[in-house]
Parts: sequence; structure tokens; C-alpha cells
Amino acid sequence: MSERLEGKGAAKRGNRFYLSIVLFVLAGILLIGAVAGYILRGSASTRANLDKMRDSAVLHAATEGLVENIAQTARAEKLKELRADKNFRKRGLDEVNSICDEAMSAARIEAEKLYSNPAVEDEAALESAIEGFEAVLATSGKLESAERAVYSDIYLELVEGISDWTAVAAEGADDDAVISALAETSPALKDEANAHLRPGFVKLARDMAAAQQARQDAELQEQLTTMMTGGIADWSEYAGLQGDALWEKLTAELPELAENERFKDALLEKAAEYVAAAESGEPLPEAQASEEGVEPVSETQVDYAYFAPSAELAKEQQDNEEAFQALDAQLVTIIPDLGSLTGKLQDTLRADIEKVIWPGSLDFTARYEAYMAQKADRVLSGGAANTLKLASKAEALLLGGIALLLLALVMLFWETLTARFGVPRTIITLFFIYLCLLAELYNISVRMMLGNVLERMTMYGVLVLAMMPGIQCGIGLNMGMTIGCISGLMGIVLSLQFNMTGFLAMLFACLSGALISLPLGWAYSKLLNRMKGNEMTISTYVGFSFVSLMCIGWMMLPFNNPKIIWLLSGHGLRVTHSLLGSFAHLLDNFLAFKVLGIKVPTGGLLFLGVCCGIMWLFSRSRTGIAMTAAGSNPRFAEASGINVNRMRTVGTVLSTMIAALGIVIYSQAFGYAQLYTAPRQLGFIASSAILIGGATVSKAKVSHVLIGVFLFEGVLVFGQQIANSVLSGGGLSEVMRIMISNGIILYALTQSGGGRRE
Amino acid sequence: MNNQNKALAHVSKYAVTYLFIALSALFIVVSGLDINYVASQLLLRLNRNAFIVLALIIPIIAGMGINFAITIGAMAAQIALLLTINWGVTGAPGILLAAAITLPLAAFFGLLIGKLLNKMKGQETIGSLILGYFANGAYQLLFLFIFGTIIPLNDNVTIVGASGVQNTLNLTGKVGLYTAIDGIAHIPFLTALYIIAGALACAAVVQYLLKKISVKRLAVTLALSAVLAGVFSIPPIAAIFNGTHGRVIKLPLVTWMLILLLCLFNSTIMRTRLGQKFRAVGQSQTVANASGINVDRTRVIAIMISTVLAGWGQIVFMQSDGIGTFQTYAAHEQVGLYAGAAILVGGASIDRATNLQAMVGTFLFHSLFITAQSAASALFGDSAVGEYFRAFLSYGVIAVALIMYAWRSAQQRKAGQLNLAEQSR
Repeated sequence: MSERLEGKGAAKRGNRFYLSIVLFVLAGILLIGAVAGYILRGSASTRANLDKMRDSAVLHAATEGLVENIAQTARAEKLKELRADKNFRKRGLDEVNSICDEAMSAARIEAEKLYSNPAVEDEAALESAIEGFEAVLATSGKLESAERAVYSDIYLELVEGISDWTAVAAEGADDDAVISALAETSPALKDEANAHLRPGFVKLARDMAAAQQARQDAELQEQLTTMMTGGIADWSEYAGLQGDALWEKLTAELPELAENERFKDALLEKAAEYVAAAESGEPLPEAQASEEGVEPVSETQVDYAYFAPSAELAKEQQDNEEAFQALDAQLVTIIPDLGSLTGKLQDTLRADIEKVIWPGSLDFTARYEAYMAQKADRVLSGGAANTLKLASKAEALLLGGIALLLLALVMLFWETLTARFGVPRTIITLFFIYLCLLAELYNISVRMMLGNVLERMTMYGVLVLAMMPGIQCGIGLNMGMTIGCISGLMGIVLSLQFNMTGFLAMLFACLSGALISLPLGWAYSKLLNRMKGNEMTISTYVGFSFVSLMCIGWMMLPFNNPKIIWLLSGHGLRVTHSLLGSFAHLLDNFLAFKVLGIKVPTGGLLFLGVCCGIMWLFSRSRTGIAMTAAGSNPRFAEASGINVNRMRTVGTVLSTMIAALGIVIYSQAFGYAQLYTAPRQLGFIASSAILIGGATVSKAKVSHVLIGVFLFEGVLVFGQQIANSVLSGGGLSEVMRIMISNGIILYALTQSGGGRRE
Repeated sequence: MNNQNKALAHVSKYAVTYLFIALSALFIVVSGLDINYVASQLLLRLNRNAFIVLALIIPIIAGMGINFAITIGAMAAQIALLLTINWGVTGAPGILLAAAITLPLAAFFGLLIGKLLNKMKGQETIGSLILGYFANGAYQLLFLFIFGTIIPLNDNVTIVGASGVQNTLNLTGKVGLYTAIDGIAHIPFLTALYIIAGALACAAVVQYLLKKISVKRLAVTLALSAVLAGVFSIPPIAAIFNGTHGRVIKLPLVTWMLILLLCLFNSTIMRTRLGQKFRAVGQSQTVANASGINVDRTRVIAIMISTVLAGWGQIVFMQSDGIGTFQTYAAHEQVGLYAGAAILVGGASIDRATNLQAMVGTFLFHSLFITAQSAASALFGDSAVGEYFRAFLSYGVIAVALIMYAWRSAQQRKAGQLNLAEQSR
């Protein structure tokens, strides 16, 4: 039996060896192609051909507007002609459309023939005009994207950081006062280089303040209405009253109304409805639920309406204008009809030409593709076209070659790698590297994404750390860590209930969350101690049940701060709580700095580091060693005098308490606290992260936590960005998350040997 | 003394069932819903869900716990339904076609599930749950990115202007799959009941004449059918069903025949060699292995049967009266949870289940489901609480069943160890 197995293993090894050889050869071919492509890019004839393509593309783009114009005119004329016909009404819509479309395409073909080969008399002049425009566009394009990046940074800082805009842009405050208030949140505004952006942001602050005021007014008005309609039992007492008389009686009953004279009209209108209903004896109008929906939690979108160019950029844009005029003049000499274009058509023409000449960068591939979009390859003869194609694909070939080379290496050293790192970590690391290569291929900034990964590491790090003591003490993947998460959420809503802010709120949330999780974790561990061997199944369902039980809890608990409860029903916590104004991003912004354009969330990283350090020290302490021993070999531990059940309790309680801390950190990084069913899947996410890091269901280290959370979040962030830019429809990254996360847990389950663990 | 012990053991074994009976009664009273409405809804949901719940029995007997991977069977059925809609086959032929496509598809999936679960013996429940989640990812990949692009489909099922299948597919109207089984023939509930009672009595008499059962058994069966027929003939009870209040409650004949057939299948297969193997493997894999049974193969067969049955169950569910639409991305999600909770409510455990338990469980679970919202708004003034309470019940029942099972097996292990220790002394 074992011989047969060995034979099978050897055969598999042999297959892998041959496969890797094939992959090496393929990789070699791709890499040779890439080298050839790069050499071709450098050659003078290729460059000349590319420039030739550009000129043709510009002409094509210029005439496209004309052709379209002629085609549309032809269509309109045909339609007019049909309308004049007395049989028009008898024809169906489809028939009319098809006749018009036919006329249009015929006209288009004619027009294309007319403009397809414009005779260029002075090629040198055209070329120099195009090159002039290209040079200006390149500098102004770079400058503009740099300035927009600065603007977007400040915008995000302000919009995510400021919760009370009315305080920033108080009524009567002059521009300087507003700016200095804004600069407290975003110090970059103090920089003189950004002075040109200030008026825009002042306007932004005023608009935001007005919007906020309007929102608050609407909310207050709704509250007052609810108070009035709910607070007055018998409307028939008010029968016959109107206007000021009604208002007087109402304010006498409810003095709060008098404080808010500005809602008088709206409230009176509502009151009149109720009075009328009471008089006619009809049932009172039901109060409509208007706020039961979940508030959307989405990434802040940057609004560029408040952007203003700097003096330098303005000058560049001026040059830009001149250069375009020069080019336009050249184009008009070649195609006189262009001179007749006016207004909107002229603008489209300019936009089209700009897109051809400056496709985001002057990279070879980008240029080639922009020209190809204008069918510019027809100016080249066969061989030249293929050479250019190869040159444009050089980068893709290089990346593909590297990818195959890596795969071949992994295949060749499969046994060594998996023995050292484990199967999941090897595969996911390879996958991550592939995603980086893909990002490079699609020109997505790897740096930006690494910044995102860093942010999400601080978000999930502590939650993943919560898995570690669970695994060490022998209960396996602690899917019931949701119990801890809910305790932490309870801490957060308590801090909101008491209107706490800043570090105090966070500290309170952490401490009270940990305190609540202590007895819960203890009881939970007692349960698990009786269920040895089935912990994961039980903890999953205990976690699920607890989440659903707490859904009822969130509805019924006597919270009464109007900021956190449903206003209309007057009880029950809302689903999503914004932590802006409380402790959103507090830790992440603490000592945060920027390096290479990446924002480093120092506070969050420090906190994660400290937590990991404490866990590391703990696992080296006497208790920690005893706990690990109890987890990895309970019988041996029992024999050497360790109380296994007690150690399991310590581990479980620790795991639950870290989970409580973790959700507080998670919420501060996210900016929102989400209740109800939101925490249900957190156990799965944390489990898969630590498993990817190299942990198993019976062994875990701090390094597994850190590597795991980096790889897991890395794959998700990169995957999402790439999926978004390749396939415009979202959803692929979510599918990927589901499959990776559950696949990895399934793999761990098959490796654990199931019941044989006892 | 012995009797008292027996009664206690019975109560502790069926504690959850009794709790649910009490809760259902309370909820029906508190909710203030019309009893005719509750009864008709309950029967409707019973014929919708019973098939899937019955699909869980074989893996339980084969010792593989609650097979939450029946969601994958449901996915197979949904793929089959999508193709049926795409090809425009309507009515009963459409359903037959969908069932025919489901068979190989679900059997193949079942094979894979079984192979995987064999690698995680003792963790099948959680394994099948997570496998279901994983498969949901694969399903979305298939429906969002592969259908409509790599596998071409008609415009009437895809999202116009993007890849992927529409969120909701209509089963009514031109598609013609709505109530394709339910609508074939209807029979009033009371008539059906009398026929069943009569059939039971006749069968008992025949069996007695053939000397297969004792007089006592005959008497009990006859009395039971008499009581069954009698109770439902009492005017106030009969009034619920015969149209005195509200509408006459009717049963879809073919659907119920399918459900009865499945019950028959479940009990017949247990008498065959294969059924004996299931039982043997479920009781002890070591013993089964020693007696020459291929344990892994038997387990794979159990899961394959369960997956195919679940697929057909999902077809029965989708065509059923009152559904009408096919929620492409959500229809399968709660299948495992609700079916698992239902069978456990009926008194099944992780290693024991019968047809009756499945039916009773479905009945009780859905009686709570129907009434929870109204009862919660009557009790707490908020119907959302009822929604959460339902979710809590589903998960809670499973958690309790798992805990009780683990606790019992821990006790047995301990008792076994004590016995061993005593023997060695």
C-alpha cells in the first residue's frame, strides 16, 4: 500500500518536473519577445513610424466630428422628408428608424470617403504644430493631475475629518477665519503653494455648512412634528382654531415649539391636518416611517467643482490654448471644412484631439493604443505595423514572462516551498505577486494600493489577532469571536449614548467592551470545555445565534440618546452609527505621516504592534506556555500537571476580549459602527486571514497574524482595483473574497484530520 | 420507576419539539391572525419545503450530520431552471426537463462534496456549511461572469448591456413554470384526510388478515385513523378547512404525492442492502470498515442522493404557489439553514432522523415562521423584532441540537471509559 503511494508521489513529482520545464520554455519565449520589443522601441524607424501614426490619428480624429455631423444632418433631413410625406403616419416607428439609419450610414460612408485621405501639403508644419501641442499637453497634463491630487487629498481630509461644518463656517465669519479653521483639520492649506485652492475650499465649507444646517433643520422639524402629533392626545380640543390662535394654544401645551418659531408654518400645516381629521371624525393620519432605511456607507467621492488651477497651471492652460489654435490653423488649411465648425462641435473636436495626443502619459503602449483607436495603422505597411505591435506589447510580454517563470520555479520547488510555508501561503503569495504584475500591466499605482493595504491592516489586525489565543489553547478557529465583537460594539454604543468624544470615548469603548466580554467569554469557554472535538461547529452556531439574539437586543435595550436610536419609533438602535465627531480615524490619524505619497496610519500600526508584542510576550510566559501545551497535546499536558480546562478558559476569554478591542479599532478605522447582522461574518474573515498567514487549526504565531492580514487584505485590495479597471461591473472582487476566504477554511478543515484530532 | 424514567428520557429527547409546540400555540393565539389564513399558509409552506427537508435524512443516518451542502443541490436546480427558462420550455415538460438536468449535475456536485467531506470526518456539519458558502462564490462567478459571456444565453434572462444573469427571473406568464406541478390537480384538504385515514385503516386490516401484525397493533391503527377522521369532522375544526370561514383549503395533489413518494423512498431504501450500509456506517465507521463495507464510498453515495433530492426539492419549491419569481442570487442562500432547523425542531438529532420528524419539524418551524412577525408586533409593538426572532430561532435550534449531541456523546465517551476502567479492574 505504502509502496503504491510512494510510486504515485514520485509520478506526481515527475509530472511537476516536466510541467515546469515546459513553463520555463514558454517563459523564455515571452521574455525574448519582450527584449525584442524593448529594443524595437529604441530604434529610430519605429519612432518615426509611431509619429506617422500620430499624425494620421490626429487627422482622423479631426475629421470624425465632421463625418458625424454630416451623417446626423443627413438623418435629420431624411426624417423631415418622411414627415412631409402624407403616408408618414402609416409607417411604424421601426420602419421610419431603419430608413433614417440607412440614409445616415450612406451619408457617413460618403463623408468618410471625402475626408479619408486629406492631402497634406505642408507635412513639416503640421508635424511641428502637433508636436508643439503635445509638449504643452504633456507638461500641463502632468501639472494638472499633480494639482488635482493635492486638491483631492485636502478634500478627503476635510470631508472625512470635519463633522460639524457649521462651527467651521459660522455665519458672519470672513474667509480668513474659515481658512484658519479648515487648516486645523488639513494643515496642507496653510502652505502658500496651495493658496489658489483656498477660495474653493471656503466655498465648499459654506456649502457644506448650509447643507448641514438644512439637514439639521429637517431633522429637528421632523422631531418637533413627531412630538406634536404624538404629544397631543385629543385634537378635537383645537377644533375651530386657526393660524396664530392655534399656534398660541399649541405652544402653551408644548413650550418646546415656541423655541423654534422658524418651523411655525410647517407645524401649523400639520396641526391643521390633524384638527381637520379630528373634526370630521376620520382616523388620524398615520405617521409615515421615513428613516427606516439603512444609511449608505460608501467611500467619499471627491467633488472637483471647487477646484481652481494655480497661476502656473493657468498659464500652462493659456499656452495650451495657443498651441491648440496653431494646430487648428494648420488643420483648417488641410481640411477647410473644419473652419466652419462652431461652438459645441469645436469643443468636441478639441477634446478628441487632446485624447489622441495626450492619452494620460506618453508611454509607448499608451500612445500606440490611443492611435490604434483612430485606426492609424492603415498608414503603415504590413511589416512596420507588426513591428509596432510587438513593441507596444513589450511590457505585457515581460510581465507574462515573469509570471510564467515564477510559476515554473514554484512548480520545481513545490515540495520545499510547501514544507516551509504551507500550501495556502505559497499559493496566495504567488497570487498576490500576480496581482502586483497585473496592476503594473494596467498602470494602477501599486504604491497607492499598498497605502490602502496598510490602512486595512490596522483595521483588521487586532480582530485577526483574536484568533491566535483560541487556536493556541486548543479550541481551534474561534468562530464565536463574534461574541467579543458584539461586546465591543456595545462599548461603542454606550460611549455614543453618553455623548463621549475623542480618546475618552475610544478608551471607554475598549474598556467597557472588554469588561462585557469577560463574563460572556467565560461562560462561552465553559460551554466549549464540555464539547471537546466539536468546538468549531458549535462556536459557529453559538456565534450566529448570539448575533441574532443581539439583533433583538439592539431593538429592545433602553438606549435613549436621540442621536443613536430610530427617531420615529423612539426606541431601538439604528443599524449604522457614524463615528465622525466621536472617534472616527482617531488612532489612524494619530502621528500619521506621508511617505512616498502613502499615508502611514502610525497610531493604528503602533497599537497593532503593541497588541502583537503583548501576545508574543504572553505566549512566552509561564501561563502562555502552559496554554499552548494544553492546546497542542491535552493528554500530555494533563499528565504534567496542567489544568487543561483552565488553560482553555484562559485562551477563550482572551480571544473574546481581544475581539472586543478589535471591533473598536475596526470601527474607528472604518468610521462607522455597524450593528445587527453586520458582525456575523467577521469570524470567517479573521479565520481565513490567520490561516493564509500560515497558521493551522492547532498552531498559530504572531507572525502568522501579521503575514496573514497583509496577504489577505493585499489580495483583496489589489483584486478589487484590478477587477474594477478590467471589468467595469463590480462584484468580481466580492466573489473572489468569498471563494478565497471559505476555500482556505475548507482546506484547513481537511488538513486538521477532523475527528482524529482527539 | 422505569416508566417515569422513560417518560423523562422522552421529554428530554424531544424538549425542543415540545418547546416549539408551546411557542407555536402561543404565537398563533397572540398574533391574532385568522386561523383559516394560518392553516392555508401552513399547508402551502409544508408542500413547498417538505421535500428539501426530507432530503436531509439519508446523510444523517449515514452519520454525516446535517448536510448544509444541500444548498449546492439547490444551486444545481437553479442552473437547470435557468437553462429551462432560457430555452423557453414551459409547463410540466419544463419542470421535467429541469429535473432531468438537475439529476446529473447534482449527482456530480454530490460526488465532489462527498469526496471532500470524507477528508474532514467528524467535522461534516461545519464543513458542509462552509462548502455551501464557497459554492455560493462559485455560483456567483458562474451567473455574473460566465453566463452571458462564455456561455451565451438569450436576452430575456441576461442583464441588458452587461454580463450576467438578471437579479430576478419571472416564472409566471410566458415562462409558464409557475405552479407547473402544484397546479395540475387540487384536492380539498378534508377529503384528502379522510382518504388517508381510510387507507391507513384498510392497510392495517389487510396486514392483520395476512397475519403480519398483532391484534393490538390493528386496534391502535384503527383507533388512530378513527380519531384522525373524527377530530377533523368536529364542526369548529372542520370549519377552518371547508370554507365556512374564508376559502376552502385545498392541497396540490401531485406535489403531495411526490412528497409521499419521497417518504416511501426514504423508508424503503433503509431496508435494502445500501440502507443497511448507511446505518452501519452511521453507527460506527470502524465496525463498518471491519465488516467489509467501503465506508468512504457509502458516504459519498449518501451525499449524492441527498444532493439530487435537494435539487428536486428546490424545483418543487420554486414552482410552488405563491413564489412566482426566481431570485437568481438569493434563492438558495437560506435553504440549508431553514431545512436543517426544521428537521431538528421535529426531534431529529445529528445522528437520527425519520420521515415523521422531518414532516413534524417542517410543520412546527413554519408555523412559527408565519406567525412570528404579527406576534412580535402584538407583543413588542415592532414587527422587525419578529424578523430577528425568526433568525434567532433558526440558528438557536441548530446550536442547541449540536450542543446536546456533543454533550451526549461526551457523556457516552465518559461512561465508556468508566466501563473500561471497571473491567480492567
